[in-house]
Amino acid sequence: MEYVSPEGLRLDGRRPMEMRQIRAEIGAVAKADGSAVFEMGNTKVIAAVYGPREVQHRSQQMSDQALVRCEYSMANFSTGDRMRKPKGDRRSTEISLVIRQTMEACILTHLMPRSQIDIFVQVLQADGGTRSACINAATLALADAGIPLRDLVTSCSAGYLNSTPLLDLNYVEDSAGGPDVTVGFLPKLDKVTLLQVQNLLNCVILGRFSALVVGKMDSKLPIDTFENVMQLAIEGCKAIANYIREILLENTKQLEYRRGL
Amino acid sequence: MGLLDASGDLSSEIEVDAFRCLFPLRFYERHLAESIWPDGSPLGRARETSIAPGAVASADGSALAKIGSTVTVDFHMPPICSPIVRPGRPAEAAPVFSKQLSDTISSSGMINLKELSLVSGKAAWMAYLDIYCLDADGALFDAALLSAIAAFSHLQIPAVSLNDDDPTAEEETIMETVVTVVLDSSSQLISLYKPGGAVLASTSAVQDCIALTRQRVRELLKILDEANSSMEVD
Repeated sequence: MEYVSPEGLRLDGRRPMEMRQIRAEIGAVAKADGSAVFEMGNTKVIAAVYGPREVQHRSQQMSDQALVRCEYSMANFSTGDRMRKPKGDRRSTEISLVIRQTMEACILTHLMPRSQIDIFVQVLQADGGTRSACINAATLALADAGIPLRDLVTSCSAGYLNSTPLLDLNYVEDSAGGPDVTVGFLPKLDKVTLLQVQNLLNCVILGRFSALVVGKMDSKLPIDTFENVMQLAIEGCKAIANYIREILLENTKQLEYRRGL
Repeated sequence: MGLLDASGDLSSEIEVDAFRCLFPLRFYERHLAESIWPDGSPLGRARETSIAPGAVASADGSALAKIGSTVTVDFHMPPICSPIVRPGRPAEAAPVFSKQLSDTISSSGMINLKELSLVSGKAAWMAYLDIYCLDADGALFDAALLSAIAAFSHLQIPAVSLNDDDPTAEEETIMETVVTVVLDSSSQLISLYKPGGAVLASTSAVQDCIALTRQRVRELLKILDEANSSMEVD
Protein backbone atom coordinates (compact mmCIF):
# COMPACT_ATOMS: atom_id res chain seq x y z
CA MET A 1 0.00 0.00 0.00
CA GLU A 2 1.23 3.46 -0.84
CA TYR A 3 1.38 5.85 2.08
CA VAL A 4 3.41 8.54 0.34
CA SER A 5 2.57 9.32 -3.28
CA PRO A 6 5.32 9.92 -5.86
CA GLU A 7 4.55 13.65 -5.58
CA GLY A 8 5.30 13.44 -1.88
CA LEU A 9 1.74 13.65 -0.51
CA ARG A 10 0.34 11.48 2.24
CA LEU A 11 -3.10 9.85 2.34
CA ASP A 12 -4.69 12.93 3.88
CA GLY A 13 -2.85 15.34 1.60
CA ARG A 14 -0.16 16.39 4.08
CA ARG A 15 3.53 16.66 3.37
CA PRO A 16 5.78 14.18 5.25
CA MET A 17 6.98 16.77 7.76
CA GLU A 18 3.60 18.41 8.20
CA MET A 19 1.71 18.05 11.47
CA ARG A 20 -2.07 17.91 11.65
CA GLN A 21 -4.00 20.96 12.75
CA ILE A 22 -3.92 21.36 16.52
CA ARG A 23 -6.49 23.08 18.69
CA ALA A 24 -6.60 23.45 22.45
CA GLU A 25 -9.07 24.85 24.93
CA ILE A 26 -8.51 25.40 28.66
CA GLY A 27 -11.11 25.08 31.37
CA ALA A 28 -13.62 22.88 29.58
CA VAL A 29 -14.71 21.09 32.78
CA ALA A 30 -15.89 23.65 35.30
CA LYS A 31 -16.02 21.15 38.16
CA ALA A 32 -12.38 20.14 37.84
CA ASP A 33 -9.46 22.04 39.35
CA GLY A 34 -7.90 22.14 35.91
CA SER A 35 -9.01 20.87 32.53
CA ALA A 36 -8.29 21.06 28.83
CA VAL A 37 -9.43 19.76 25.49
CA PHE A 38 -6.73 18.97 22.94
CA GLU A 39 -7.25 18.13 19.27
CA MET A 40 -4.68 16.86 16.79
CA GLY A 41 -6.44 16.51 13.47
CA ASN A 42 -9.41 14.22 14.12
CA THR A 43 -8.04 12.95 17.43
CA LYS A 44 -9.83 14.68 20.28
CA VAL A 45 -9.19 14.15 23.98
CA ILE A 46 -10.29 15.83 27.17
CA ALA A 47 -8.19 15.92 30.35
CA ALA A 48 -9.23 16.87 33.87
CA VAL A 49 -7.01 17.35 36.91
CA TYR A 50 -8.23 17.11 40.49
CA GLY A 51 -5.75 18.08 43.15
CA PRO A 52 -3.76 18.51 45.16
CA ARG A 53 -6.31 16.92 47.45
CA GLU A 54 -6.47 14.46 50.31
CA VAL A 55 -5.14 10.99 49.56
CA GLN A 56 -7.94 8.48 49.02
CA HIS A 57 -6.12 5.47 50.52
CA ARG A 58 -4.19 6.44 53.62
CA SER A 59 -1.77 3.57 53.10
CA GLN A 60 -0.54 5.11 49.84
CA GLN A 61 0.14 8.50 51.32
CA MET A 62 3.74 9.70 51.03
CA SER A 63 5.16 12.00 53.64
CA ASP A 64 7.62 13.78 51.37
CA GLN A 65 5.80 14.12 48.05
CA ALA A 66 2.47 14.09 46.27
CA LEU A 67 0.95 10.91 44.87
CA VAL A 68 0.16 11.16 41.17
CA ARG A 69 -2.55 8.98 39.65
CA CYS A 70 -3.64 8.79 36.07
CA GLU A 71 -6.46 7.05 34.26
CA TYR A 72 -6.77 6.82 30.49
CA SER A 73 -10.02 5.70 28.95
CA MET A 74 -11.59 5.76 25.52
CA ALA A 75 -15.23 6.59 24.89
CA ASN A 76 -17.25 3.76 23.35
CA PHE A 77 -17.80 5.87 20.27
CA SER A 78 -14.24 7.13 19.87
CA THR A 79 -13.22 4.55 17.28
CA GLY A 80 -14.95 3.45 14.07
CA ASP A 81 -16.60 0.42 15.70
CA ARG A 82 -18.14 0.66 19.14
CA MET A 83 -15.63 -0.49 21.74
CA ARG A 84 -16.68 -3.16 24.18
CA LYS A 85 -14.16 -2.49 26.94
CA PRO A 86 -12.98 1.10 26.96
CA LYS A 87 -10.84 0.80 30.06
CA GLY A 88 -9.26 -1.88 32.21
CA ASP A 89 -7.88 -3.59 29.12
CA ARG A 90 -4.15 -3.93 28.71
CA ARG A 91 -3.65 -1.09 26.25
CA SER A 92 -5.49 1.43 28.43
CA THR A 93 -3.62 0.31 31.53
CA GLU A 94 -0.31 0.62 29.75
CA ILE A 95 -1.07 4.08 28.41
CA SER A 96 -2.28 5.20 31.85
CA LEU A 97 1.07 4.15 33.24
CA VAL A 98 3.03 5.90 30.48
CA ILE A 99 1.14 9.15 30.96
CA ARG A 100 1.46 8.98 34.74
CA GLN A 101 5.21 8.48 34.63
CA THR A 102 5.66 11.22 32.07
CA MET A 103 3.65 13.79 34.02
CA GLU A 104 5.08 12.72 37.37
CA ALA A 105 8.54 13.55 36.08
CA CYS A 106 7.60 17.16 35.47
CA ILE A 107 5.40 17.87 38.51
CA LEU A 108 7.26 19.31 41.50
CA THR A 109 5.77 16.68 43.79
CA HIS A 110 7.99 17.49 46.76
CA LEU A 111 6.10 20.78 47.15
CA MET A 112 2.84 18.99 47.96
CA PRO A 113 3.57 16.17 50.42
CA ARG A 114 0.82 13.91 51.76
CA SER A 115 -1.51 14.87 48.94
CA GLN A 116 -2.83 13.33 45.73
CA ILE A 117 -3.05 14.65 42.21
CA ASP A 118 -5.48 12.87 39.87
CA ILE A 119 -5.17 13.18 36.12
CA PHE A 120 -8.04 11.76 34.07
CA VAL A 121 -7.94 11.66 30.29
CA GLN A 122 -10.85 10.65 28.12
CA VAL A 123 -10.49 10.03 24.40
CA LEU A 124 -13.55 11.32 22.54
CA GLN A 125 -12.31 10.69 18.99
CA ALA A 126 -9.37 8.45 18.12
CA ASP A 127 -7.46 8.91 14.88
CA GLY A 128 -3.88 8.02 15.82
CA GLY A 129 -1.60 9.79 18.27
CA THR A 130 -3.98 9.47 21.20
CA ARG A 131 -1.25 9.12 23.78
CA SER A 132 0.46 12.27 22.49
CA ALA A 133 -2.78 14.21 22.54
CA CYS A 134 -3.42 12.96 26.08
CA ILE A 135 -0.01 14.11 27.32
CA ASN A 136 -0.50 17.54 25.74
CA ALA A 137 -3.98 17.85 27.22
CA ALA A 138 -2.69 16.74 30.64
CA THR A 139 0.03 19.40 30.56
CA LEU A 140 -2.53 22.12 29.86
CA ALA A 141 -4.88 20.78 32.52
CA LEU A 142 -2.09 20.75 35.12
CA ALA A 143 -1.17 24.31 34.22
CA ASP A 144 -4.83 25.31 34.47
CA ALA A 145 -5.00 23.74 37.92
CA GLY A 146 -2.04 25.82 39.01
CA ILE A 147 0.07 22.81 39.91
CA PRO A 148 3.78 23.67 40.01
CA LEU A 149 5.61 22.16 37.05
CA ARG A 150 9.29 21.79 36.26
CA ASP A 151 8.52 22.38 32.58
CA LEU A 152 5.74 21.78 30.07
CA VAL A 153 5.66 18.29 28.57
CA THR A 154 4.68 18.07 24.94
CA SER A 155 4.38 14.94 22.88
CA CYS A 156 4.29 14.03 19.23
CA SER A 157 4.66 10.88 17.18
CA ALA A 158 6.61 10.11 14.02
CA GLY A 159 7.04 7.06 11.81
CA TYR A 160 8.73 5.69 8.74
CA LEU A 161 6.76 4.43 5.73
CA ASN A 162 7.69 4.08 2.05
CA SER A 163 11.24 5.07 3.06
CA THR A 164 10.07 8.46 4.30
CA PRO A 165 10.04 9.80 7.84
CA LEU A 166 6.50 10.99 8.58
CA LEU A 167 5.41 13.39 11.34
CA ASP A 168 2.23 12.95 13.41
CA LEU A 169 0.77 9.67 12.19
CA ASN A 170 -2.96 9.26 11.84
CA TYR A 171 -4.74 5.95 12.50
CA VAL A 172 -4.25 4.47 9.04
CA GLU A 173 -0.53 5.28 8.99
CA ASP A 174 -0.15 4.04 12.56
CA SER A 175 -1.72 0.68 11.71
CA ALA A 176 0.50 0.22 8.67
CA GLY A 177 2.99 -1.84 10.67
CA GLY A 178 5.95 0.48 10.22
CA PRO A 179 8.00 1.75 13.19
CA ASP A 180 6.20 4.27 15.35
CA VAL A 181 8.06 6.62 17.71
CA THR A 182 6.30 8.65 20.39
CA VAL A 183 8.37 11.31 22.11
CA GLY A 184 7.68 13.23 25.31
CA PHE A 185 9.74 16.39 25.39
CA LEU A 186 10.56 19.12 27.92
CA PRO A 187 11.03 22.25 25.77
CA LYS A 188 12.69 24.56 28.27
CA LEU A 189 15.12 21.98 29.56
CA ASP A 190 15.53 20.62 26.02
CA LYS A 191 15.31 17.04 27.23
CA VAL A 192 13.42 13.98 26.09
CA THR A 193 11.46 12.49 28.95
CA LEU A 194 9.49 9.79 27.12
CA LEU A 195 10.61 7.72 24.18
CA GLN A 196 8.35 4.91 23.12
CA VAL A 197 9.19 2.95 20.02
CA GLN A 198 7.00 0.31 18.50
CA ASN A 199 7.54 -2.06 15.59
CA LEU A 200 11.28 -1.66 15.56
CA LEU A 201 14.12 -4.14 15.15
CA ASN A 202 17.72 -3.91 16.22
CA CYS A 203 17.40 -0.67 18.02
CA VAL A 204 20.61 0.30 19.77
CA ILE A 205 20.43 3.17 22.16
CA LEU A 206 22.10 5.56 23.96
CA GLY A 207 22.55 7.28 27.20
CA ARG A 208 20.69 10.56 26.61
CA PHE A 209 17.20 9.41 27.44
CA SER A 210 15.65 8.83 30.81
CA ALA A 211 13.01 6.34 29.59
CA LEU A 212 13.00 3.94 26.71
CA VAL A 213 10.53 1.27 25.77
CA VAL A 214 11.16 -1.00 22.80
CA GLY A 215 8.09 -2.68 21.41
CA LYS A 216 7.62 -5.68 19.20
CA MET A 217 10.11 -6.35 16.46
CA ASP A 218 8.73 -6.35 12.95
CA SER A 219 10.67 -4.21 10.50
CA LYS A 220 14.25 -3.14 10.15
CA LEU A 221 15.35 0.39 10.72
CA PRO A 222 18.98 1.53 10.39
CA ILE A 223 20.08 3.53 13.38
CA ASP A 224 20.62 6.87 11.68
CA THR A 225 17.18 6.67 10.11
CA PHE A 226 15.79 6.09 13.57
CA GLU A 227 17.62 9.20 14.77
CA ASN A 228 16.03 11.20 11.94
CA VAL A 229 12.59 9.99 12.86
CA MET A 230 13.17 10.79 16.50
CA GLN A 231 14.50 14.24 15.64
CA LEU A 232 11.40 14.86 13.53
CA ALA A 233 9.19 13.95 16.46
CA ILE A 234 11.17 16.33 18.68
CA GLU A 235 10.62 19.16 16.20
CA GLY A 236 6.92 18.38 16.31
CA CYS A 237 7.06 18.58 20.11
CA LYS A 238 8.73 22.00 19.94
CA ALA A 239 6.03 23.31 17.61
CA ILE A 240 3.33 22.05 19.97
CA ALA A 241 5.15 23.63 22.92
CA ASN A 242 5.03 27.03 21.21
CA TYR A 243 1.32 26.65 20.60
CA ILE A 244 0.68 25.57 24.19
CA ARG A 245 2.65 28.54 25.51
CA GLU A 246 0.52 30.90 23.38
CA ILE A 247 -2.68 29.33 24.69
CA LEU A 248 -1.52 29.66 28.30
CA LEU A 249 -0.49 33.30 27.82
CA GLU A 250 -3.84 34.10 26.24
CA ASN A 251 -5.60 32.37 29.11
CA THR A 252 -3.64 34.38 31.67
CA LYS A 253 -4.49 37.60 29.88
CA GLN A 254 -8.17 36.67 30.03
CA LEU A 255 -7.91 35.97 33.75
CA GLU A 256 -6.17 39.30 34.35
CA TYR A 257 -8.81 41.10 32.34
CA ARG A 258 -11.63 39.46 34.28
CA ARG A 259 -10.09 40.41 37.58
CA GLY A 260 -9.80 43.95 36.38
CA LEU A 261 -6.00 44.20 36.55
CA MET B 1 -24.02 39.11 43.34
CA GLY B 2 -27.82 38.99 43.82
CA LEU B 3 -29.10 39.72 47.26
CA LEU B 4 -25.92 40.09 49.26
CA ASP B 5 -24.09 43.32 48.62
CA ALA B 6 -20.93 43.20 46.53
CA SER B 7 -19.18 46.35 47.67
CA GLY B 8 -16.24 45.43 45.47
CA ASP B 9 -13.54 44.88 48.02
CA LEU B 10 -12.16 41.42 48.63
CA SER B 11 -13.19 41.09 52.29
CA SER B 12 -16.94 41.17 51.62
CA GLU B 13 -16.55 38.67 48.74
CA ILE B 14 -14.81 36.22 51.02
CA GLU B 15 -17.60 36.52 53.56
CA VAL B 16 -20.24 35.70 50.97
CA ASP B 17 -18.32 32.64 49.74
CA ALA B 18 -17.73 31.43 53.29
CA PHE B 19 -21.41 31.92 54.13
CA ARG B 20 -22.38 29.94 51.02
CA CYS B 21 -20.08 27.05 52.04
CA LEU B 22 -20.97 26.98 55.72
CA PHE B 23 -24.72 27.60 55.56
CA PRO B 24 -25.87 26.57 52.08
CA LEU B 25 -29.52 26.16 53.04
CA ARG B 26 -29.79 29.64 54.55
CA PHE B 27 -27.89 31.12 51.59
CA TYR B 28 -30.44 29.76 49.13
CA GLU B 29 -33.43 30.49 51.37
CA ARG B 30 -32.52 34.16 51.52
CA HIS B 31 -32.49 34.32 47.74
CA LEU B 32 -35.69 32.34 47.30
CA ALA B 33 -37.46 34.72 49.70
CA GLU B 34 -36.81 37.42 47.09
CA SER B 35 -37.68 35.02 44.23
CA ILE B 36 -34.28 35.08 42.56
CA TRP B 37 -31.33 32.72 42.03
CA PRO B 38 -27.89 33.66 43.45
CA ASP B 39 -26.83 35.00 40.07
CA GLY B 40 -29.75 37.44 40.04
CA SER B 41 -31.95 35.71 37.45
CA PRO B 42 -35.67 35.16 38.21
CA LEU B 43 -36.81 31.73 39.43
CA GLY B 44 -38.67 30.72 36.28
CA ARG B 45 -35.53 30.91 34.14
CA ALA B 46 -33.46 27.80 33.44
CA ARG B 47 -29.71 27.86 32.76
CA GLU B 48 -28.32 28.49 29.33
CA THR B 49 -28.84 25.44 27.15
CA SER B 50 -27.02 24.69 23.95
CA ILE B 51 -26.84 21.70 21.65
CA ALA B 52 -24.08 20.80 19.23
CA PRO B 53 -25.20 17.90 17.08
CA GLY B 54 -22.59 15.91 15.24
CA ALA B 55 -19.95 16.66 17.87
CA VAL B 56 -18.29 13.30 17.40
CA ALA B 57 -17.60 12.64 13.73
CA SER B 58 -16.52 9.03 14.16
CA ALA B 59 -19.83 7.96 15.68
CA ASP B 60 -22.73 7.10 13.47
CA GLY B 61 -22.69 3.82 15.25
CA SER B 62 -25.11 1.11 14.57
CA ALA B 63 -24.22 -2.57 14.44
CA LEU B 64 -25.83 -5.47 12.63
CA ALA B 65 -27.49 -8.05 14.86
CA LYS B 66 -29.07 -11.40 14.12
CA ILE B 67 -32.55 -10.90 15.59
CA GLY B 68 -34.63 -8.13 17.10
CA SER B 69 -34.04 -4.42 16.93
CA THR B 70 -33.27 -2.70 20.20
CA VAL B 71 -31.80 0.47 21.56
CA THR B 72 -29.18 0.02 24.28
CA VAL B 73 -28.63 3.09 26.41
CA ASP B 74 -25.48 3.47 28.46
CA PHE B 75 -24.82 6.46 30.70
CA HIS B 76 -21.20 6.88 31.73
CA MET B 77 -19.85 9.12 34.45
CA PRO B 78 -16.07 9.08 34.07
CA PRO B 79 -13.91 10.47 36.90
CA ILE B 80 -13.47 13.65 34.85
CA CYS B 81 -16.97 14.87 35.55
CA SER B 82 -16.90 15.39 39.27
CA PRO B 83 -14.56 15.40 42.28
CA ILE B 84 -16.66 12.71 43.98
CA VAL B 85 -16.28 10.13 41.22
CA ARG B 86 -13.06 8.16 41.60
CA PRO B 87 -11.67 5.21 39.63
CA GLY B 88 -12.34 2.69 42.39
CA ARG B 89 -15.69 4.18 43.27
CA PRO B 90 -18.00 4.64 40.26
CA ALA B 91 -20.96 7.01 40.55
CA GLU B 92 -24.06 5.31 41.93
CA ALA B 93 -26.24 7.52 39.79
CA ALA B 94 -24.89 6.24 36.47
CA PRO B 95 -26.81 2.94 36.15
CA VAL B 96 -29.92 4.64 37.58
CA PHE B 97 -29.83 7.24 34.83
CA SER B 98 -29.14 4.54 32.23
CA LYS B 99 -32.30 2.72 33.28
CA GLN B 100 -34.39 5.91 33.50
CA LEU B 101 -33.26 7.06 30.07
CA SER B 102 -33.87 3.63 28.60
CA ASP B 103 -37.40 3.55 30.02
CA THR B 104 -38.19 7.09 28.92
CA ILE B 105 -37.01 6.50 25.39
CA SER B 106 -38.91 3.25 24.99
CA SER B 107 -42.13 4.37 26.69
CA SER B 108 -42.30 7.62 24.75
CA GLY B 109 -42.31 5.69 21.51
CA MET B 110 -40.03 8.28 19.98
CA ILE B 111 -38.10 5.64 18.10
CA ASN B 112 -40.00 3.48 15.66
CA LEU B 113 -38.31 0.12 16.14
CA LYS B 114 -39.78 -1.11 12.87
CA GLU B 115 -37.55 1.42 11.09
CA LEU B 116 -34.56 -0.45 12.45
CA SER B 117 -35.57 -3.73 10.87
CA LEU B 118 -33.66 -4.88 7.78
CA VAL B 119 -34.97 -8.31 6.87
CA SER B 120 -38.15 -9.03 8.83
CA GLY B 121 -37.58 -11.82 11.32
CA LYS B 122 -33.94 -12.28 10.32
CA ALA B 123 -31.82 -9.16 10.67
CA ALA B 124 -32.18 -5.74 12.25
CA TRP B 125 -30.07 -2.80 13.37
CA MET B 126 -29.11 -2.43 16.98
CA ALA B 127 -28.68 1.15 18.05
CA TYR B 128 -26.21 1.85 20.82
CA LEU B 129 -26.56 5.14 22.59
CA ASP B 130 -23.59 6.10 24.75
CA ILE B 131 -23.79 9.24 26.83
CA TYR B 132 -20.69 10.51 28.58
CA CYS B 133 -21.07 13.08 31.32
CA LEU B 134 -18.02 15.35 31.07
CA ASP B 135 -18.93 17.95 33.68
CA ALA B 136 -21.48 17.18 36.41
CA ASP B 137 -23.16 20.29 37.74
CA GLY B 138 -26.63 18.95 38.49
CA ALA B 139 -29.62 18.20 36.26
CA LEU B 140 -27.77 15.27 34.72
CA PHE B 141 -30.89 13.45 33.60
CA ASP B 142 -32.15 16.55 31.82
CA ALA B 143 -28.91 17.10 29.98
CA ALA B 144 -28.59 13.41 29.16
CA LEU B 145 -32.09 13.16 27.73
CA LEU B 146 -31.60 16.34 25.74
CA SER B 147 -28.36 15.08 24.25
CA ALA B 148 -29.96 11.70 23.49
CA ILE B 149 -32.75 13.45 21.62
CA ALA B 150 -30.34 15.68 19.74
CA ALA B 151 -28.28 12.64 18.74
CA PHE B 152 -31.37 10.80 17.50
CA SER B 153 -32.64 13.89 15.65
CA HIS B 154 -29.29 14.04 13.98
CA LEU B 155 -30.17 10.56 12.75
CA GLN B 156 -33.56 11.83 11.59
CA ILE B 157 -35.92 10.20 14.02
CA PRO B 158 -38.90 12.12 15.54
CA ALA B 159 -38.04 13.88 18.79
CA VAL B 160 -39.24 14.08 22.37
CA SER B 161 -38.35 16.91 24.73
CA LEU B 162 -38.42 17.47 28.41
CA ASN B 163 -38.18 18.88 31.73
CA ASP B 164 -37.93 21.11 34.68
CA ASP B 165 -35.81 23.92 36.06
CA ASP B 166 -32.24 22.83 36.35
CA PRO B 167 -30.69 22.71 39.86
CA THR B 168 -26.92 22.77 40.16
CA ALA B 169 -24.93 20.07 41.99
CA GLU B 170 -24.57 22.36 45.00
CA GLU B 171 -28.33 22.86 45.15
CA GLU B 172 -29.00 19.15 44.72
CA THR B 173 -27.09 18.33 47.89
CA ILE B 174 -29.45 20.42 50.02
CA MET B 175 -32.64 19.72 48.09
CA GLU B 176 -35.25 17.70 49.90
CA THR B 177 -36.69 15.99 46.87
CA VAL B 178 -36.85 16.18 43.08
CA VAL B 179 -39.72 15.73 40.66
CA THR B 180 -38.89 14.76 37.08
CA VAL B 181 -41.53 15.45 34.44
CA VAL B 182 -41.19 14.31 30.82
CA LEU B 183 -43.47 15.72 28.13
CA ASP B 184 -43.41 15.18 24.39
CA SER B 185 -43.51 17.92 21.77
CA SER B 186 -47.32 18.10 21.89
CA SER B 187 -47.21 18.49 25.69
CA GLN B 188 -48.56 15.02 26.36
CA LEU B 189 -47.31 13.53 29.59
CA ILE B 190 -44.77 10.74 28.96
CA SER B 191 -43.59 10.11 32.49
CA LEU B 192 -43.57 11.48 36.00
CA TYR B 193 -41.02 10.41 38.57
CA LYS B 194 -40.80 11.34 42.20
CA PRO B 195 -38.46 9.10 44.23
CA GLY B 196 -39.64 8.17 47.73
CA GLY B 197 -38.47 10.24 50.68
CA ALA B 198 -39.44 12.34 53.66
CA VAL B 199 -41.11 15.11 51.67
CA LEU B 200 -44.63 14.76 50.30
CA ALA B 201 -45.45 16.60 47.08
CA SER B 202 -48.90 18.15 47.16
CA THR B 203 -51.11 18.06 44.05
CA SER B 204 -50.61 21.79 43.49
CA ALA B 205 -46.82 21.41 43.67
CA VAL B 206 -46.92 18.66 41.06
CA GLN B 207 -49.19 20.73 38.84
CA ASP B 208 -46.79 23.67 39.15
CA CYS B 209 -43.95 21.41 38.04
CA ILE B 210 -45.94 20.25 35.02
CA ALA B 211 -46.73 23.86 34.06
CA LEU B 212 -43.06 24.83 34.31
CA THR B 213 -42.18 21.84 32.16
CA ARG B 214 -44.66 22.85 29.49
CA GLN B 215 -42.94 26.22 29.26
CA ARG B 216 -39.51 24.62 29.12
CA VAL B 217 -40.66 22.27 26.34
CA ARG B 218 -41.38 25.27 24.16
CA GLU B 219 -37.94 26.74 24.81
CA LEU B 220 -36.18 23.45 24.11
CA LEU B 221 -38.09 22.74 20.91
CA LYS B 222 -36.95 26.10 19.62
CA ILE B 223 -33.32 25.36 20.52
CA LEU B 224 -33.50 21.91 18.91
CA ASP B 225 -34.96 23.35 15.73
CA GLU B 226 -32.26 25.98 15.49
CA ALA B 227 -29.53 23.42 16.06
CA ASN B 228 -30.96 21.06 13.46
CA SER B 229 -31.43 23.72 10.81
CA SER B 230 -27.89 25.01 11.31
CA MET B 231 -26.66 21.44 10.82
CA GLU B 232 -28.54 21.14 7.53
CA VAL B 233 -27.05 24.36 6.19
CA ASP B 234 -23.57 22.88 6.76
